[in-house]
Amino acid sequence: MRFMVIVKATKDTEAGILPSTEEFAAMGRFNEELVKAGMMEAGEGLHPTAKGARIDFARGQARVSRGPFDLTGDLAAGFWMIKAGSLDEVIEHMKRAPFPSGQIEIRQVYAAEDFGETFTPELRAQVERLREQAVKG
Amino acid sequence: MRFMMLMIPLGYESAPPDVELDPERVAAMMRYNEALKDAGVLITLDGLHPPSTGARVSFTGGKPIVTDGPFAEAKEVLGGYWMIEVASREEAIAWAKQCPASENEIIEIRQVQEMTDFSEEVQKAAAGFEELPRAGRA
Repeated sequence: MRFMVIVKATKDTEAGILPSTEEFAAMGRFNEELVKAGMMEAGEGLHPTAKGARIDFARGQARVSRGPFDLTGDLAAGFWMIKAGSLDEVIEHMKRAPFPSGQIEIRQVYAAEDFGETFTPELRAQVERLREQAVKG
Repeated sequence: MRFMMLMIPLGYESAPPDVELDPERVAAMMRYNEALKDAGVLITLDGLHPPSTGARVSFTGGKPIVTDGPFAEAKEVLGGYWMIEVASREEAIAWAKQCPASENEIIEIRQVQEMTDFSEEVQKAAAGFEELPRAGRA
């Protein structure tokens, strides 16, 4: 099973306040543990919403708004992609993340077999091809 | 520059664990994904199960507190994401506008932080961890 761990934005992340060197090093050590446990696929931080944009598709038309966006408690500041046997396993690891405050959200990633018959063999083949051919940075 | 396109389907915050997908919409989205790939901009993409099957871990006061989904207070939740490599924010926006999204959906575009965005001191602190996996850096 694959999981996305979403790091929620805070006033600090939205203000562009970066972690201290110590906090950075602590997170590096935590990530190192995830890698050693064979769980970490990727991890990234996102610039504040002030540098981002949103596109609304109401009435079939794409309407663009520029950041910053209101901190509703649901904005993302970063994420991990994690491989694990269960949601509980992810929770147990992530409880040890070196965050002094804030919140993270853990969500299971869809796999082709979760879609049942909706996801035809042709669509499955297309997904596999996309993954193989996607750019590598 | 790497950007994340965050798909926010309004209403997904209260979706049941076994939410059904519309085959026509899936096919349209796959054609869009194919176009991203053919243009050489797609790094990776994923869809997420509804929050009713997820969990949140809060660190208020330095102690982890676990809450199982669905999250009553959530107004917007992620339904999935694309990671793309483009030359500018404008290019990312242009791609997002072409998405065959539904009326209830919003795509948020956010630039991904690179090591070079940080101070020298921070880069030094992270220097030993360069081998960590990063999307599109495999």
